[in-house]
Amino acid sequence: MNKKAFAGLFLLTALGAAGFRLADLDLRPVHHDEANQALKFGALLEKGEYRYDKTDHHGPSLYYLTLMFARALGRNTLAELDETTLRLVPACFGIGTILLLLLFIPMIGKKAVLWSALGLAVSPVMVYFSRFYIQEALLLFFLVAAVAALWRYLLKPSWGWAMATGLFCGMMYATKETSVIAFGSIAAAFLLAHLTMGTREKESAQTRNTADPQKQDPGERQTERSDRRSRKPRSGIRWAHLILGLGSALLVSLLLFTSFFENPKGWLDSLLSFKVYFVRAGEGGFHVHPWSYYLRTLAFSKTGSGPLWSEAFILLLACVGGVAAFHRRHHDNRNFPFRKFILFYTLFSTAAYSLVPYKTPWNILPFYIGFILLAGCGAASLLDICRKSLCRALVIVLLAAGFFHLGVQAYRGSLDEPANPRNPYVYAQTSPDFLKLIHRVEDLAALHPDGDRMLIKVVAGPYETWPLPWYLRRFSRVGYWTDAGEAGGPGEAAVIISDTEQADRLESLFNKSFLSEYYGLRPNVFLVLHIRSDLWEKFLKSSPGKT
Amino acid sequence: MNKIISLAVAMGFMAGMPAFAAAVPPQEQDKEELKLQLPKPMFIGTPRNITSPNLERITGKPRGAFFVPAGTKLVSLNKPVTASDMQPVIGEVGYVTDGEKAGEDGYFVEFGPGKQSVQVDLKAPYELQAIVVWHYHSQARVYRDVIVQVSDDEDFITGVTTIFNNDHDNSSGLGIGKDKEYIETYEGKLFDPRGVKARYVRLWSNGNTSNDMNHYVEVEVYATPTQ
Repeated sequence: MNKKAFAGLFLLTALGAAGFRLADLDLRPVHHDEANQALKFGALLEKGEYRYDKTDHHGPSLYYLTLMFARALGRNTLAELDETTLRLVPACFGIGTILLLLLFIPMIGKKAVLWSALGLAVSPVMVYFSRFYIQEALLLFFLVAAVAALWRYLLKPSWGWAMATGLFCGMMYATKETSVIAFGSIAAAFLLAHLTMGTREKESAQTRNTADPQKQDPGERQTERSDRRSRKPRSGIRWAHLILGLGSALLVSLLLFTSFFENPKGWLDSLLSFKVYFVRAGEGGFHVHPWSYYLRTLAFSKTGSGPLWSEAFILLLACVGGVAAFHRRHHDNRNFPFRKFILFYTLFSTAAYSLVPYKTPWNILPFYIGFILLAGCGAASLLDICRKSLCRALVIVLLAAGFFHLGVQAYRGSLDEPANPRNPYVYAQTSPDFLKLIHRVEDLAALHPDGDRMLIKVVAGPYETWPLPWYLRRFSRVGYWTDAGEAGGPGEAAVIISDTEQADRLESLFNKSFLSEYYGLRPNVFLVLHIRSDLWEKFLKSSPGKT
Repeated sequence: MNKIISLAVAMGFMAGMPAFAAAVPPQEQDKEELKLQLPKPMFIGTPRNITSPNLERITGKPRGAFFVPAGTKLVSLNKPVTASDMQPVIGEVGYVTDGEKAGEDGYFVEFGPGKQSVQVDLKAPYELQAIVVWHYHSQARVYRDVIVQVSDDEDFITGVTTIFNNDHDNSSGLGIGKDKEYIETYEGKLFDPRGVKARYVRLWSNGNTSNDMNHYVEVEVYATPTQ
């Protein structure tokens, strides 16, 4: 493939990926977890306060990186923030992950990179969680960057790649402590790829710098030329580089976890968090799913009369790529260990995530990237195998149909039905009906003498409280209680929001002076909006309905 | 010159202060706003993703016995049904009176978004004793603007009796209702027509807490022959 064709196709893919990731970012109601993260970020934005919490919410990188986006967009308070500003962060990192695939050209070639980029661009799960204000899209970006930097270092050791590897590993850790699963999988895959290298592979790895550049594509020949320029005997990992890499990882994680040394015990807390996450992973609580949950969700998902969702196309192509990793004739010698590494990483990380009882769909990303890379290699291998033009045309049509189907699902999942429970990636998602509650409260506040200073009481369990704090962020007097007894009577509050459990208890305190409305918070979970009669009468007079 | 302007502004401000103070009621002059420290929300991890119905927990106690005159019978079974949307998104209009009340897919009819109605023709006037409606019960939902009307007039122009109306903000435009919203359960919602005489039963709804669509699993009308 010539350079211009590759550049054009890759650019088109990146633009398509950007379209999926950036369009209508405020479409989906804010999820419980997103609201938690947003409020935590709000404290950093307004007061410069961030303290790592070892019990929840993961690492600090999301907040500090969001700060850069918010400042650039001129958002200085929580009230000024909006969904688009927040979700722009994972969306940009999602697009960035696709651009990072360019670093893999020396390892897997341009064709495989292009197919991988296409898979990443249109994968429904990848698109969905690139539009979700949680850590996963960032973790994926740093994971791909760390693996790319590590292998680029192994191809051509330099202090630059050593430092980059350390930096991205540090960012992985500062994004999610559970990145240790990915670290473990990388280490195990690396070891196994090395152990399974045959004598011929080891020899070719040692002599790869003298390989005939005419047999490789132009991009690789260029790298080859630069390799020859350096023409130093390969000496593997150097101690100075190792120290530089480890130092970079330590420094970046230290800076972020300690809030730039304002909270010195933050880094230590990050280590102590392993106990918390280990226990949670084992217990699982609400989020225990069978080992097959992730693979089943990816392969085939259908709820009731809803549409079929499947990324089986990627899984099948990944199988082809996995088989091709053991067949020398389909790729050059240099690529051989890397493809094995990707295969083993995919197997180890999928097994690790699947064996942990605690499962949420966004945890698919760190291991699914392996499938996508293998699928890219698989697609390239299939085209290599087909020498006859008819056969190649047939494969291209099949590949185009498969990727088009993924694209249709990505559109449906993220832009058409982003909150529909029949979408397999919708998980404990806030119902669109919840937004009607917020609109009602805003309408009532407009009629209340205190306006946005109207006292609002929220009486609900913690799981039923969110994402109210995000949506009520512009109201200056909102109190949150978990028990009706502690909240006391309505007092001056003209608007009270409660869960259904507390609603019964509140009604005994109201003396029939409040009207109640139900709103859906999540599937099977309701909130009750209690409105004082005088304010309700005022509302009815201001908007008398259709008659 | 600047000094003179500044002095004039300062004097004007000082002169205005007593006037401002006089505008504040005397009893509030020496008071300040009580700034309450309201409790903040508790941060907490991902909530449960409920995908299977858990109606018992939500509905609480089962509905108690409902007493009707002796001889009351189901008169709506397989009776003709018309709807404001005669081309449902899912299912068929006939599902409304087919006697099937299961909650699974394949037993409900889905009508388009917004305000929609179904109408059952009992084929003869009856003294209505109970109307039971199942909108959807494989998931806990609240249907909005549920209005139940009966009449002897097929077009509901004359002799219309409203049995139930929980459209408290009149968003459906049929008048403000005082009845409360309720959560759908497998028990259905029982409305008491108190023996009113009618041939036609019309039911309205206007979306629900899960989506903007309207659903019916079954409508049952129990009645006694007219005297």
